[in-house]
Amino acid sequence: MIIDSYELPDGQTLLADVCIIGAGAAGIAMALEFAGTGTDVLLLEAGGRGEESDTQALYAGSVADARLHSPPDRYRQRRFGGTTPIWGGRCMPFDAIDFEARDYVPNSGWPLAREALLPYYDRANRLCEAGEFSYTAGDAFHRPTREIIEGFASSHFTADTLERFSCPTDFGARYGHKLEAASNVRTVLHANVTGLRLNAAGRSVDHLDVKNLRGGNFTVRAKHFVLATGGLEVARLLLASRDVQPEGIGNQHDLVGRYYMCHLAGTIGAIKIDRPPSSVWHGYEISDEGIYCRRRFALREATQRSLKLGNFVARLHHPRISNPDHRNAVLSLLFLAQLFIPYEYRMRLAGAGSTRLAEWFKHVRNVALGSTDAAGFAWHMLRDRKLAERKFPTIIIHSKANLYSLDFHAEQQPNPSSRVSLGAETDALGMPRIRVDWRYTPGDVDTVSRSVALLAEDFRQQRIGTFDYDPNSVETEMTRYGAFGGHHIGTARMGTDPRSSVVNADCRIHDVGNLFVASSATFPTSSQANPTLTLIAFALRLSAHLKTLLTRAHTPAPVQSEPRVCSDAVCEPT
Amino acid sequence: MKTRVLVLGASGFIGKRVLDALSSSDWACPIAASRRGPNLAAAAGQPESLRLDATDAGQLRRAMEGVSAVVNCVLGNSRTIIDSARALFSVAGGSPNPPRIVHFSSLAVYGEAAGDVDESAAPVGRLSAYGAAKFETERLAAANPSIVTLRPGIVYGPGGAQWSGRIAQLLRAHRLGDLGRGGDGYCNLVYIDDVAEAVLRALRLPTAAAAMAFNLSLPHPPTWNEYLIRYAAALGAVPVSRIGQRRLRFESKVMAPPQKIAELIAGKVSPRLARRLPQPIPPSLVRLFQQEIRMKVGLAEQVLGLRWTPLEEGLRQAAAWYRPAASNSVVANSLAPH
Repeated sequence: MIIDSYELPDGQTLLADVCIIGAGAAGIAMALEFAGTGTDVLLLEAGGRGEESDTQALYAGSVADARLHSPPDRYRQRRFGGTTPIWGGRCMPFDAIDFEARDYVPNSGWPLAREALLPYYDRANRLCEAGEFSYTAGDAFHRPTREIIEGFASSHFTADTLERFSCPTDFGARYGHKLEAASNVRTVLHANVTGLRLNAAGRSVDHLDVKNLRGGNFTVRAKHFVLATGGLEVARLLLASRDVQPEGIGNQHDLVGRYYMCHLAGTIGAIKIDRPPSSVWHGYEISDEGIYCRRRFALREATQRSLKLGNFVARLHHPRISNPDHRNAVLSLLFLAQLFIPYEYRMRLAGAGSTRLAEWFKHVRNVALGSTDAAGFAWHMLRDRKLAERKFPTIIIHSKANLYSLDFHAEQQPNPSSRVSLGAETDALGMPRIRVDWRYTPGDVDTVSRSVALLAEDFRQQRIGTFDYDPNSVETEMTRYGAFGGHHIGTARMGTDPRSSVVNADCRIHDVGNLFVASSATFPTSSQANPTLTLIAFALRLSAHLKTLLTRAHTPAPVQSEPRVCSDAVCEPT
Repeated sequence: MKTRVLVLGASGFIGKRVLDALSSSDWACPIAASRRGPNLAAAAGQPESLRLDATDAGQLRRAMEGVSAVVNCVLGNSRTIIDSARALFSVAGGSPNPPRIVHFSSLAVYGEAAGDVDESAAPVGRLSAYGAAKFETERLAAANPSIVTLRPGIVYGPGGAQWSGRIAQLLRAHRLGDLGRGGDGYCNLVYIDDVAEAVLRALRLPTAAAAMAFNLSLPHPPTWNEYLIRYAAALGAVPVSRIGQRRLRFESKVMAPPQKIAELIAGKVSPRLARRLPQPIPPSLVRLFQQEIRMKVGLAEQVLGLRWTPLEEGLRQAAAWYRPAASNSVVANSLAPH
């Protein structure tokens, strides 16, 4: 059932077996796993069913450098469904190498291998409505599919891996009816958690303080608590709950909020392919299940190891939209239509800095001269994106002249200086606002620089064509739009040692026996992959773990118990 | 000596398959009875057949002379379903040696129930006309020790016009596909051969174990979305289209009524014309796609000893039937209004 905190009597205490904080992709995925079971679940959502400006304003905060990071109330939504109403839907799993401790990536290494997640990826994929968990062209298609560039074969890059696209699925709209129908899952809207209150010993969460914007408040007591918010809000809630642990929960070693990562993304260079246009395909293939899939150039794991590079993928892309010299009517149309495009997708259309009047006229000229192409594109976007329930994922412009740029998406190294902390200001509920100081390192620039150079060299050696770019521009291009929006990773990192991590391999705060985190906040490294699919897989894994714990709690203890084994350095409190 | 088994509704999808299964057995001698009548046994070696109005107790009494068992697969409207069951149970009840009766009920008797339902579950919410009729037949059968009731879910497989033929046609027209939240309901599929096997086993059930009802469905049914997507793949009707809620509502509320009327009128004028008309997607079907009901089938497994044809195999067989059939219009014929 779904209820609203505005309808609850003031000062009430709600009880549950499991309390999940945040009804976004992770929280809803977890709640669905419990639906229809005997576990009493409380799912707390800070927002309502749609965007509400006063609720969204609770996300506001400050950034150290506005050029490098978007305002904290952008790219995330405080509402039922979380940020899924605005996400792009790109799905791909993390690679095996992402989980490894790599000596050339400082602070890398997870306390588990990719295999631990594999049992959950398939279900995560289905929840995202991205079809089968099948991420190579060879596996996903039982027919030949078009290559990015026919005949391209590289020992450094593979062009066989895929990204698959969700509808994109709005988890609230898609699965709300299941939560409505689940009698053992109570979803409470407008329930803003303002404090995780530990017991006196600080070893378990005793209760939650919850408030709404109309002055109402209530308390939640549960056996287990799960923080299923985004990476920024996880840090905020842990740091702001400092009544028992003055430095914040899980923050004895000053780790919460640090190692904050996004991805390094941008477009660079001018590629001219010396092949017939028919031998180049940078668009989508549609799988039998109707899923849009796309190949990309992915840096092979062996290359990453031998050259000591972070993870990296790239795609052929249209030339920069804001520069009218591309003389492409469709691109100019997009530039002119930017005001009608949501903020989160507009940045890359607008370009950096202001546009001169002469350039606006050039864009208008491009549209006028290519009005047929522009009209065809507008119809395609209306039919296949605006009106379609499964939306055409991105803008794909096929170049008759075989002119492209390179769009890249790279791993950002974990860096303790890149952090989310609490600012001095508070929001309408008295919660400290966050301050984001996102930073990148020379190692990040190195990964992108050398990977791009490697691809350019491959193109040259194989006589694919020319790839002209200024090597000195890499850093500028990878930060032109700042940190890649929406991917908030690493602020409560996972590990075995409480001195270097916040949660253990079960996503439990090391020294708090009943507090778990289901969020990209727990990822120690960022991979090349977008985080949503993997954070859902982790949420499903955590659900299975909690089910085991709850079952164990209901099972009478054997007369002679097994020796107690802890999965990390600190045992559960007794 | 073989057991003489009268099969009512023998020209229907289930009736035909039951007839085949009985004929193939070494213990049964089936007699096919249907409203259409005697040409069923035109060829040598085919089962004995007769024309019969199953709602007529007199005709039934004569047909049941010398038979040890009756399988009731009668199709038709609510009136026919109830009247034929009443006549059958009444004639059987008046017999000094009541025959074993295997009576077909349906998933529809559970109404709008959701979650896991076993055979003891009561109906929830509103029953469809079909469900109410089947429910009434079960009430008439209650406490009769010679009647075994089967409640199949979605019976599919070669020859299944409703759940294999019609769905295939709609998938190929891309009017069905991935329905999103509209297809989250469970599709309690049961393969036609498994249904026939259930009949054979129910006929041989010891008397002490009769007077029972059995759910028939895959024990772990797919969702409707999974069924539609996998069936589309088996049919080669790919890529599957995403059908949004708006479109489904438009199909069922705006398009379906005139399509149904056109189908009925065309059926009177020319069956050929009726075959060419698009299939309606009625609101009841849209509701079924969303109904998260899962039939528990432990009883059928334990008491009847049933094992289920894997979905992949069932879909392969259904698709193999539909594809050539579609090309020579056999399916289209079977989809015409009855």
